[in-house]
Amino acid sequence: MEGANIFNIQHFSVHDGPGVRTVVFFKGCSLHCKWCHNPESIRPEAEILWYPEKCIGCRACEVQCPMGAHSFTAGVHRIDKGKCSHCFLCCEECYADALVRVGEEKSAEEIFREIMRNKAYFDQSGGGATFSGGECMLQPKALHELLTLCRQSGIHTAVDTAGNVPWQSFETIKDLTDLFLYDLKALDPDVHRACTGAGNERILDNFKKLAEAGSNILVRIPYIPGYNDQELEGIAAFLSAWPQIKAELLPYHSLGNSKHRALQEEDLLDVTAPTKETVTQLKQKYGFL
Amino acid sequence: MNTEKVVMSQAVTDRIMRLHDSKLAINDKKIARHGSIDIDDHGFIDFEDFTFKAECAPDGKVHGCALIGRNLRRFLNEMPKYINPDSALATCWVGTFDRFVPLGIAEEDKPKELAETIKKYRITQAGFGAMNHLCPDMEIGLSEGWQGLLEKIRHYRKKNRPADPDFYEGEEQLALGILEWVEAHGKLAEELAEQESDPFRKKNYEEIAKINFALTKRPPETFREAVQFLAHFQSVDRTYFAGGALGALDTLLEDYFERDIAAGALTEEEAVWILASLFFNDTHYTQIGGLTPAGDREVTSRLSFVILDAMHLLHIPTNLGIRVHAPIEGQSDVAEALLRRAVEYTIADGYGVCYSLEKGIAEGFAKNGFPVELGRMRVKCGCNWVAIPGREYPLQDVTRVNMAVALHYALDDLQKDGNCSMERLWERFCAHLATMVDCIKKGYDRHYEIMQRNLPEIVLNLFMHGTIERGLNCSNGGVDILDLNIDGIALATVADSFAAIQQRVVEEEKISWDRLFTLLQTNYEGAERERLMLKNIRRFGSPESMAEEWAVRIRDYFVSLCKGSPTPKHHLMVVPGMFSHGDVYAYGRTLEATPNGRFAGEPISHSSEPDPGFARGVDTFSPALKANAVALTQAGYGNSAPLHLDIDTGLVENGGGVDALVALIHAHEQAGGTLINMNCVSKEKLLAAHEDPASYPDLVVRVTGYSAFFASLSKEYRQQIVDRFLSA
Repeated sequence: MEGANIFNIQHFSVHDGPGVRTVVFFKGCSLHCKWCHNPESIRPEAEILWYPEKCIGCRACEVQCPMGAHSFTAGVHRIDKGKCSHCFLCCEECYADALVRVGEEKSAEEIFREIMRNKAYFDQSGGGATFSGGECMLQPKALHELLTLCRQSGIHTAVDTAGNVPWQSFETIKDLTDLFLYDLKALDPDVHRACTGAGNERILDNFKKLAEAGSNILVRIPYIPGYNDQELEGIAAFLSAWPQIKAELLPYHSLGNSKHRALQEEDLLDVTAPTKETVTQLKQKYGFL
Repeated sequence: MNTEKVVMSQAVTDRIMRLHDSKLAINDKKIARHGSIDIDDHGFIDFEDFTFKAECAPDGKVHGCALIGRNLRRFLNEMPKYINPDSALATCWVGTFDRFVPLGIAEEDKPKELAETIKKYRITQAGFGAMNHLCPDMEIGLSEGWQGLLEKIRHYRKKNRPADPDFYEGEEQLALGILEWVEAHGKLAEELAEQESDPFRKKNYEEIAKINFALTKRPPETFREAVQFLAHFQSVDRTYFAGGALGALDTLLEDYFERDIAAGALTEEEAVWILASLFFNDTHYTQIGGLTPAGDREVTSRLSFVILDAMHLLHIPTNLGIRVHAPIEGQSDVAEALLRRAVEYTIADGYGVCYSLEKGIAEGFAKNGFPVELGRMRVKCGCNWVAIPGREYPLQDVTRVNMAVALHYALDDLQKDGNCSMERLWERFCAHLATMVDCIKKGYDRHYEIMQRNLPEIVLNLFMHGTIERGLNCSNGGVDILDLNIDGIALATVADSFAAIQQRVVEEEKISWDRLFTLLQTNYEGAERERLMLKNIRRFGSPESMAEEWAVRIRDYFVSLCKGSPTPKHHLMVVPGMFSHGDVYAYGRTLEATPNGRFAGEPISHSSEPDPGFARGVDTFSPALKANAVALTQAGYGNSAPLHLDIDTGLVENGGGVDALVALIHAHEQAGGTLINMNCVSKEKLLAAHEDPASYPDLVVRVTGYSAFFASLSKEYRQQIVDRFLSA
């Protein structure tokens, strides 16, 4: 039974595919989007989210840590990230949930059982399971197993991907996947690289192959003012070759900021969320959902 | 069938809005004089100057049917009469009878032998002496009328010639009092008509006078007369022990509605106004939708939609429930349209109907040994409960066993004898819980013996099948079905406590038994880390958790206690429930610290719901996670354990929101859930209203099965809703 490294299971999502869905978030991503609202999804390895406001000052972390990464000076808790060996002993002893391990290995069967708990909601709403991340396609074996289990039980599946994986990964799962939620962030390779840390040649190539293979695709375009707003027109033009494929605009929101802070990342994105009116205008202009 | 919203003129919409404004003004006055109101936002109007001098028994109390009947008759005659200038209906009520009259049970009839157990186990709702919490069959009233009911009483009094005429004497006095009171409203309407210069209002008063005079002589014939009759009933019913059930409003009124519409005597918008006037009069519980007893036809009609629109337009607390069931092939479009409309209104208004779920109610009821067809006849008619109108005496929502008290004494036993293990803890918990349930069963036996001669259901008896015919109070064999409920509460508090002990004390050995006892006795003072260690396990609600296993085990044992044997003396059927009402603060206030990290005095968990904030780690909170836990731990015999969903408007404001909530409702119904209470409000608005309730006078919320003005609630009750909301 293949294990998956995941960081979250969301049991009642109405934003990630049709109907009511259970979304399984895989950990690890090959892009590093500056605006990522799930920053804890990027690194493949488990890591620590730190919420200092929850700390009760019990200093159990300091006692447990073999590397001396935790210190308390005048009652103020500090973590030296450089010393951390990711043994997570501190998280295990932090009952105040100030130190939280994010990322854990679960077997596909275990995850599937959780998915099945919500089958009634899928049946009532035309929903199903969505595999997201991070980049779920970086864990192809576990993903394949989950998709197979879902197919065997008649559960609708969606794979939420940024497409930055070898085409071979798509080939192994495309016939088991009912819907691809395919992210396109920028059409200009330089803009894409600047925003995500990687070029988009493979992403666009995979998209074309997937579209030509007749897979069911819903494109999702993050709209980040100041970063990719000049790209929307190009993306719309690119997609015009496949009129049957719809695209959804996902406006920036700042809900990920608290998690960036919890990861002790200082360089938070300075972006103001666009207004509803602006988003509506853009949707109308480019025919996005 | 037309499933569209009723087309409303501005004039009628404005009239309904004036009723809304009147209600807010009445409510402000009530809050100023009486303080917070944590129960249903009853529609009574406060007349500060009205007083009443009761006629009492030699012991200084008022008990017995005849004495109560005489007092009620005089009370109805003396109380202020009221007609709101924007209402289609006359009457109001002025507060519950016990505010004016020392109603009480004779000392010699109280179960003194149970007093010690009641005190030890803090059983504040022992069932004995409980009132209302059954559903009248208003078809009896609508077909007989007030005069017909009086004649029925006299007919059966003559026929039965009871040795003790007390019962019939009291019922007759009441019926006479109501007739005089209705007549007085006719006269008031006449007087108001004479004084009124506005042509519409003048005509309206004249119409009200005509209707009230007619209803002193014959049963209602038109839609408006029928609704006026219901307003009469609910005013008197609330007065006497705060009765609150009307029944299935759409099926009760459908014939009158269809007939008047067909004859051109009524428009749909007039019907909306008349119904809004009924909802303004009081918050009696009503249901729309559902199935016929045979289960082969949906009862949803055009009137169901009209009723829903009346609730929406009036926008005050209205205890309307919609019955949700699996689609009936070829018929489900209309019922589904009604459900969708109800959900749309919930999202738009922030609150709305509650969702009463067919499968768990009807099939669960059948497990008691009744045909499922009877189960389908049960109507949502209380804040969390259902009953067959006119035929069932279920006493739901009036008895509670705080299972956390049993756990407290079980831990006490272990500490005293030093024999500490999970097995022994469970054994002692079971023993204490059994004592508590047994105490309530014995209390019910006494209730059955003495209520007719003490506090009969003098109002509801008029609308039951058998009471008048037999000359018996409904609690005493007046109806065919006595199925007495006992609610076991604090399930999550207890389940999480067992799981915390098993994990931290027994398996991980991080806390010793002695240390646990010390922590509980010292209320975790200076031991925050250990408290959080116990609290932050995988709590009930987390899939496949140890706490979930404990919750199921505790539920099963509680159910077996209730179903294992009837009451010991009179062999009355007992049915398990798991409803805590909003009383989780009251029950928590007297409870010591518990092993789930709960401080002494903090609230217990709600009904069979997980505690707020239960979701941790990989499983983030979702309505489905909570719904699954509630469905899994239903008592299973047809009595409701509600699911509360406090949903941020952000989740559902997009186009798929209605679909998602409809799916959730259907899925919970199919999973065996029984009731969903839902609020949709933004976090910002709720927090702001909690901070400054007076600035949000018309924010209506579902507290549990009942709705109320948020501003009317005490800070504790508001906090309960805020906690639920934030944990989502």
